[in-house]
Amino acid sequence: MSSFRFGDVAAARARIRDAGRALRARPRGEVLDSLAEVLNRWREPSSKARRSLDLSLPEATGFSREMVRAGLALALERWTGDAFQAVVRRELDPGARGSEPGRTLAVGFEATSVLLAGALPTPTLLAILAPLAVGSPALVRTSSGDPVTARVVASSIAEVDPKLGACVEVVQFPAGDREALEVFLSAECVVASGSNATLRAIAPLVPPPQRLVAYGHRVSITVLGPEALTSTSLPQTCPRVALDIALWDQLGCLSPIAVYAVVPDRLAIDQLASGLASALAQIEQELPRGRVPITGAAAFARARADAELRGAASRSVAVYGTAQDPWCVVREDSAELREAPMHRFVRVHPVADLAALPTALAALSPYLAAVAIDGFGLEARSVAQLMAERGASRVCPPGRMQAPPLGWHHDGQGILTPLCRFSDLEPD
Amino acid sequence: MSDAARAALDAKVLAWMREPATLEWPQEEERFDQIARELFHFQFDHCPPYGRFCARQGRTPATVTTWRDVPAVPSGAFKELVLRSFAADEVVHVFRTSGTSARRRGELQLDTLALYEASVLPSFVLHLLPELVRGALPGPVPAVARPRLRILAPTPLEAPDSSLSHMFGVLLRALSLQDAIGPSGFDVAGGELRFESWLHALEEGMAHDAPFVLCGTAFAFVHALDELARRGVRLALPAGSRVLETGGFKGRTRELSREALYTLIEERLCVPPARIVNQYGMTELASQFHDSVLRFSGAPRRKLGPPWARVRLVDPTTGNEVPRGEVGVIVIHDLGNTGSVSAIETADLGRAIADGFEVIGREPGAEARGCSLAMDEMLAGAGSA
Repeated sequence: MSSFRFGDVAAARARIRDAGRALRARPRGEVLDSLAEVLNRWREPSSKARRSLDLSLPEATGFSREMVRAGLALALERWTGDAFQAVVRRELDPGARGSEPGRTLAVGFEATSVLLAGALPTPTLLAILAPLAVGSPALVRTSSGDPVTARVVASSIAEVDPKLGACVEVVQFPAGDREALEVFLSAECVVASGSNATLRAIAPLVPPPQRLVAYGHRVSITVLGPEALTSTSLPQTCPRVALDIALWDQLGCLSPIAVYAVVPDRLAIDQLASGLASALAQIEQELPRGRVPITGAAAFARARADAELRGAASRSVAVYGTAQDPWCVVREDSAELREAPMHRFVRVHPVADLAALPTALAALSPYLAAVAIDGFGLEARSVAQLMAERGASRVCPPGRMQAPPLGWHHDGQGILTPLCRFSDLEPD
Repeated sequence: MSDAARAALDAKVLAWMREPATLEWPQEEERFDQIARELFHFQFDHCPPYGRFCARQGRTPATVTTWRDVPAVPSGAFKELVLRSFAADEVVHVFRTSGTSARRRGELQLDTLALYEASVLPSFVLHLLPELVRGALPGPVPAVARPRLRILAPTPLEAPDSSLSHMFGVLLRALSLQDAIGPSGFDVAGGELRFESWLHALEEGMAHDAPFVLCGTAFAFVHALDELARRGVRLALPAGSRVLETGGFKGRTRELSREALYTLIEERLCVPPARIVNQYGMTELASQFHDSVLRFSGAPRRKLGPPWARVRLVDPTTGNEVPRGEVGVIVIHDLGNTGSVSAIETADLGRAIADGFEVIGREPGAEARGCSLAMDEMLAGAGSA
């Protein structure tokens, strides 16, 4: 795809400003109905949007065709138009938020620039719908990892509601094009996803009173208790955990990079690692791993060789799978945090008991997104509470990590509230 | 094999390193292969973790029939394990990788420095001072033409575990003994660049029209060049001056591309890129690779090494060598590593160019697909890796 130049970005920005004036003049309910319809259509596997993604996303992102189909089907399972309306009510309806009805107004910014990252399609979908829901047109820069989805979203919106479609402009320009970047970042509100280094670089370019809503890199994990590791439960546990790992080739912030087995029984941990290996091998038959860039393949091979060597040094480290397998399970001998090369590489860490869990997760805490937990019986609630206190913005069962509810508080924030200015209208 | 076998191996490699270097420096494939397989046999037997690591891959002295089959260990393994082929009580020196105290550092334990030191000199001379090669290592040179070495690094005394400082110390000592260089020295002390004395040394050399070989880490050069720029100073170093820069910027507050660094060097020191040599080496290796620009001026820039060290570029998934011209992971086989493991898989990507290679870098575009991971930050916080 050809890149936009500075002038193209400036022109796109001017167009959405014009379209934004019309957007703000429309009843919000009408706009929300259109956005809900977009979501409902996306949920249909035979819809134009889904067929378009089936066709072009594998080549553009490297994911296998099977992965795109299965990943989207699972991720959109609960993303209905009604669910979207419910999120709007939860976050913007003063009554639902405990304020006096009619006394607090949520107003979107004149324009919102959305800087996308990564290659997963559903975060892109929501990132574009959200500004529109609060009455703000969206100028969207695609990520280098997925130049396709944003355009499909824009087309879907235009198909349902052409006037609303005019409120989305999708641009692409090189990261080093400073002029284009400055124009792009001059919107009143900027939503930026990316590495922490990227966000640090952008922050000075979006000074107050502009609003910067930043989503940095996060990691997810799975924490299993004894009841998930018994001989009867393990056959259910492993496929679920393996699905969480395999979906989107472990490249999303909701993909678990590690499994913490909170059990003193060494044999149970070995069996878990072995079961995960079998489950990943099975999943490969149904959802083959996609293309891996050489940097990713090198990191994967290096981490595997490193574990092999540690295993050869007589430590309790074991590697499951061969060097040619498109997955790798490493049974670690401690909870020490190690490199996570992704692309279906998972480490199983032993944790002696629940008391040791906070220490085991200490280094991860500031970066935690989701935690899948299972097998803690009566203690499940307190483990979930602990994960929330450690920074997790989502706790769910294994097998559901890649299907967050539409209203998930991404990075602990609301979906719509960060994109709004709230005005409290006091009585005379 | 026995200690006598190790001594014999060391003797063979040392003899090779001490042979007169020539600009052509023939590769001697058969000789390399023979020693590499003997060395693999020795290390397979004497470095137990490595032996088991190889055996699990089905690579044993019986099955490895060419040096290309010798299994490589990832360089990061030196942060986790002691990989040595001799007894613990025979350690005479330890080199450590750079890094902050919060992070685990790689460690190379040595029972002799002889090979390391013998490897340093010929490579340096051939790639930085090729005019000194007259079919043999440096011979008598007229005093006026003798270059001066200024080192932007701490002395070996101050940084005994730095292989880089040790290398520079060896070079200064050896080249001084051979009367091949003029007044030379180190310009970093107490962890800081001694800018005034460095500047004075340069100005004094300029007054005598004595060319310089300025050596140091890329980051140290940036620091010195920034200070020159701040003072508005531009030095016209004497003709024949040259630069050796090495290392990267990881963990530093300022990063520059190599091209930008070379532009700055030319601007502030009047040393053109054609006289700037990047050295590619690592703590875990005895030998180094250098840019070819001075050894073969006018030819394409590529990295060349001594004949006792070889590079393979491999596909990380298959482990097979990539077709010529394609990008692969850099694996180095260094016969100078007799006391540890001779085959090291680096974290770098490279591509073959003519008789050498270029280093592409570590993680180009690594973030393009993943939403996940700030691992460097997390691991730094965890005090590991």
